[in-house]
Amino acid sequence: MQYVGPINIRSDRNGKTDMGEQQSGGGSPGRRRVHPEGMAHGNGAGHLADHASGPVFGHASGPAVVLDDAALEALLSAAVLRGQPLDNEAEQRAVAAFRAARDAGAHRARTRRRDDWRPREQRRLGRSVKTALSLFAASLTLGGVAFAAIGSSDAPDASSDDQVRSTPTAGASDWPAATSPAESGTASGKPGHPTTAQDTEAKCRAYEQVDGRGNALGSTAWQRLVTEAGGADKVAAYCAEQLAAATDAPGRKADPSGAADNGQDRRGTNGSGASESGTGRSGTGGAGTGGTGTSGSAKSGSGDSAENEKKK
Amino acid sequence: MHAYDEELGAAVARAQEGDEAAFAIAYRLVQPQLLGYLRGLVGDDAEDVASDAWLEIARDLGRFKGDGAGFRGWSATIARHRALDHLRRQKVRPRSSVLEQDVLDLPGPNSTHDQALESISTEQALELVRGLPRDQAEAVLLRVVVGLDAPAAGRVLGKRPGAVRTAAYRGLKRLAKQLGVAGVTEDGPRTLGESK
Repeated sequence: MQYVGPINIRSDRNGKTDMGEQQSGGGSPGRRRVHPEGMAHGNGAGHLADHASGPVFGHASGPAVVLDDAALEALLSAAVLRGQPLDNEAEQRAVAAFRAARDAGAHRARTRRRDDWRPREQRRLGRSVKTALSLFAASLTLGGVAFAAIGSSDAPDASSDDQVRSTPTAGASDWPAATSPAESGTASGKPGHPTTAQDTEAKCRAYEQVDGRGNALGSTAWQRLVTEAGGADKVAAYCAEQLAAATDAPGRKADPSGAADNGQDRRGTNGSGASESGTGRSGTGGAGTGGTGTSGSAKSGSGDSAENEKKK
Repeated sequence: MHAYDEELGAAVARAQEGDEAAFAIAYRLVQPQLLGYLRGLVGDDAEDVASDAWLEIARDLGRFKGDGAGFRGWSATIARHRALDHLRRQKVRPRSSVLEQDVLDLPGPNSTHDQALESISTEQALELVRGLPRDQAEAVLLRVVVGLDAPAAGRVLGKRPGAVRTAAYRGLKRLAKQLGVAGVTEDGPRTLGESK
């Protein structure tokens, strides 16, 4: 148990204030430092001497007692600590607890912020290193997420395309009847996309609807159909041939009622999935689908765009 | 004041590596201060609270990072939490702020002050400190008895260093007044402007 140094209480019989000239941090004699800033430092032996200011007691004419803060602190500290004898039993208990914690591996626990009492600079340094590392880790994570998002952004489209493509039902082929204006618009936006048998079939069905109405037949898609047929006047015959072939195909019923049902089903599906496939199908994706594939997908793509437009 | 902080820091470092004897050294270096602080907070229950605090210190020593001075702050924080828990459990407030004059049977201002102040007992000193408003008492105890600097004491108390400095300063001024020279300063000339 330590005792704190000499108690610095000085009486100055001349009535002058005697301000700590023996003290490292003291002000000049006669000048009082009244702000408590002087108590800021607690480093080592200089601690008590940091603030040599203090209340001055006594009348100026009489004996003055200077009790500076340092003296008071020393006095208090000594008085309090003097009465705290070490209890051997308590020490043994503490050491036993230490031993138990050590043997249980508790001392390998992680340092929490409240356990870090290193000087501020070190703490800050440690923290900044930690911050930099965590920022780096976060940037990697975010980068990975972004990368994964870019990579997977194609995936939903592909899968929806697959879904569309995998269900080329008769209903799909009947669709253009209802949505031919949209279909023709979409199709006309994509010149040069390859035609297939189903594409042709679908156009033919649409042709029946739009023939003689407006100038929809002026669009590129119809031009292609016309080319395929071998002339504007041969389209009807060409299409009849195509549709007959399609109707003969197994599982392909040109049943209007079935088509209606199918159409409704599909529309419901598309409506629910609109947000997911909005850009993909109504825009480039729809045409892209048509490009790679079947008349069914092309129609459904254009159908979606019409639906989406209605929703907007 | 704490020239042995180096020794304490070394002991703590060795204790963190598992050295039991070093832990005992750290205990002996810090316990009187913790106990003094706790006496100011919880009075006669200080030993029990200190005992609890040391169990936690012994358990969490591996988490601690810092030097000797840091260890004093860290252990004081733990002791304070245990003390506040204790007070909550007991629904006991720290001693009232009414000074017990018989305990503070200090010589008057006309006696020789040096003697009077040197002869102050532990109990008298603690009573004086307990007589302060709570924030001042704690600030004084942490600064003076535990020997923490203002930032460290502020961290223990969850206050800004400036607030702790002010509280300690006011507390000490008040104590100085009560220590045998009370009343004199009221009439005496306040040499140069005193803050407050």
